[in-house]
Amino acid sequence: MASISSVPRRPAAYRGIGRSLLLTLPIALWSLLMFSRAFQQPDRAGWAGAIVVMLFMTFLFFMMMRTGTTYRWRRYFFVALGFLFPVGFIAALISVRGTMSIPIERMVAGDTPFCFMVIPMLIVPAALTRTIIFPGSILPTASNPHSIAVMIGLWLALSLVVGKAWCSYACFFGGIEEGFAAVARRPRIRRIDPRLRLVPWAMLIFIVALSAALFEPVYCTWFCPFKTVTEFARVRSIETAIQMGIFITLFVALVVVLPILTKKRTQCAFFCPFGAFQSLFNKINLFEIRFNRDKCVDCTLCQSACPTMAISADSVREGKTLLNCMKCGACVDVCKKDAAVWHLKGTRVALKPERARLLFLYGAWAMATMFGGSILGNSLATILHFLPWK
Amino acid sequence: MRARIFAVLAYTGAAITLVLAILVPFVLLGGFTGLVARAGLHVDASYSGGDIARVFDRNGYQVAVYRPVQPHFLQRVHPFVQIAFKPAHALPPRIDEEVDLDGDGRPDVRIVFAVPASPDAPLHGDVIALNGSYRSLANVGGDSFSELLVRTGDQILVRVPFRGASPRN
Amino acid sequence: MAVLSFSASIAEALVLGLATGPVCVASCGPVVLPWMLSQPQGVAAQSRQLALFLAARLAGYLIFAAGIWAAGASIPRSWMASSWVFGSIRILLAAGLLVYAAGWRRRRCASAGRPAALVQIGVSPRPKVEGAFALGFLTGVNFCPPFLVAGVRAAQLASLPGTLLFFAFFFAGTAVWFLPFVSFGFLRRTPAVVTVARMTAALMACWYVFTGISSLIERAVYG
Repeated sequence: MASISSVPRRPAAYRGIGRSLLLTLPIALWSLLMFSRAFQQPDRAGWAGAIVVMLFMTFLFFMMMRTGTTYRWRRYFFVALGFLFPVGFIAALISVRGTMSIPIERMVAGDTPFCFMVIPMLIVPAALTRTIIFPGSILPTASNPHSIAVMIGLWLALSLVVGKAWCSYACFFGGIEEGFAAVARRPRIRRIDPRLRLVPWAMLIFIVALSAALFEPVYCTWFCPFKTVTEFARVRSIETAIQMGIFITLFVALVVVLPILTKKRTQCAFFCPFGAFQSLFNKINLFEIRFNRDKCVDCTLCQSACPTMAISADSVREGKTLLNCMKCGACVDVCKKDAAVWHLKGTRVALKPERARLLFLYGAWAMATMFGGSILGNSLATILHFLPWK
Repeated sequence: MRARIFAVLAYTGAAITLVLAILVPFVLLGGFTGLVARAGLHVDASYSGGDIARVFDRNGYQVAVYRPVQPHFLQRVHPFVQIAFKPAHALPPRIDEEVDLDGDGRPDVRIVFAVPASPDAPLHGDVIALNGSYRSLANVGGDSFSELLVRTGDQILVRVPFRGASPRN
Repeated sequence: MAVLSFSASIAEALVLGLATGPVCVASCGPVVLPWMLSQPQGVAAQSRQLALFLAARLAGYLIFAAGIWAAGASIPRSWMASSWVFGSIRILLAAGLLVYAAGWRRRRCASAGRPAALVQIGVSPRPKVEGAFALGFLTGVNFCPPFLVAGVRAAQLASLPGTLLFFAFFFAGTAVWFLPFVSFGFLRRTPAVVTVARMTAALMACWYVFTGISSLIERAVYG
């Protein structure tokens, strides 16, 4: 089965160095602007982290321009984000609390950092009773800068620009399984029931309904695999022990083992309810991937390459992807006939696909630099702080 | 003609998206955050403890009694009343207080606990119900959202469940 | 005077039902939602199914009302949490949901002689009445806080007909809150929608099995 790493790509030099640099310039300036604040702090580790990330993000965008491909360079950033975020986050927890577990007094004090995965579960209780069913604080405090208002505001702003591409450019959890999906050269499990794509929607309805009934964030308390690499309620009862067991099992199975065996982002594709929720943005977002039926030869390379099975034979026949497409660009890069193209809704398919790709990438990469880049910078600074350098 | 109009609209939309992207860190993030903050939302009282109903002044510290918290829908929290002793640094080494929770002038519970010198030391204490409306708690600590005795910041919180609730988290 | 007292009880029951209806929806909604999504499209079809469901729920209410009156006692909240009945009902509800989740795929080739386009995942050509009744009855006897509140009040009434009438009007008040579920009839029943509904039913069934077994274990261990 073809994978993104084994198929010959388009010629290495898609665009000249000069033009590539020119197109990269806005991103370079944007990076400088985003990280300028880091240089105002008297923290050399912070400076080093900021410089590394600025160069990293700018270089990756340059390579996107130079080679005309997207997926591979985006994946370097995304995997780095996935693995470095827990490093910085856990280090911060350990330094403040001495443990990854969050004691009840911190929850009561509203010190739980807000996670965007909670958002779908908040809607019904908030609409009915104006109540947020999360043990955080509405406004940022000294002990909890990741307050509810800040994180929801951030999610709203980012989603307005990138939509479902959040799952490819912003979600710091997806990078972990994308990294594991890249480990094996070939998938060991090749046949996956396409109906599993619908499980995230079922999970979404399930957790929204149950959270509204129980008035607690059910996904966070029972089903989030990423509790294993962030924070979790202190284990002090049989129930919390069962919850911890579920978290670990789901993480190992969906985030580590299955991505290695299938070379797919199995947690994202077959479980994550937030991903299903975010898919709704694909209805309004202007950017999409389309298939030029005049050029398509139905080789199914795109279907094999898609990390979330967002392409089916039926959808290709209709010239489009499924609703859960996260615009990673894998299908476009692997297509030998240039049939899979970036597309701006309202324009003719395949008329100016590179223009559509550029317009999309500027917005997405700007957001990735702002959000993911800052996380990378902070995590690198954290690592540097642990090193014996002066 | 129609195709041209759609194309113009599409590129206009794309341009607006890029403008929005630039505005995110400078305007949109703060704007949306403010919107959420002004939406009149509040954290569920089972976590926050609810609103203060009345405050009693003591010798160098205060005892704040909160409004009773009732569970929503099928919430797995028992009804409780939160009491706060603050500031924690001004508390005597031992608290042995009778507190009126329902404002009828008669004490409803007696709260007994030792205040450790270190803010990080674990807290345990007893709550003795003085009438049938509340439930006594022995050696309570950070047990559950409806039964606890913990220190948060510079205050010590006690949550006393209403009688009739079985001790479940 | 008796008429006034009777009217007051009825009004009280209706108002109690209306006031606590949202909790009933919260309690029964996780069962109703995936089940209704797996039913055929159309407001008329959804209304029929919902009516059957509510009728069975009423039957459950009335049976328990009679039991409460006969026992002459109210059901304590703690009994709801850890009782053989509560745990068993939850497991039965889970079984009912799993029936819908598994679908009633015929073992014989269902498409024999029919165009392939007519064969869809999870859509039954005829909605089954027994299913609506079973789920409705089980949710009707599944104790929820409003049910217990009504039980406390009903147990105080002097006559069996009065108790049954109290519960019937209480039920009417709560049933109003279920009417919006009919709007699911507008949702297009593509194979994907029906499959998602069945998967949701399966997930909900797992939840009910877990809480049911936890309740039984708690009852067995703590009494």
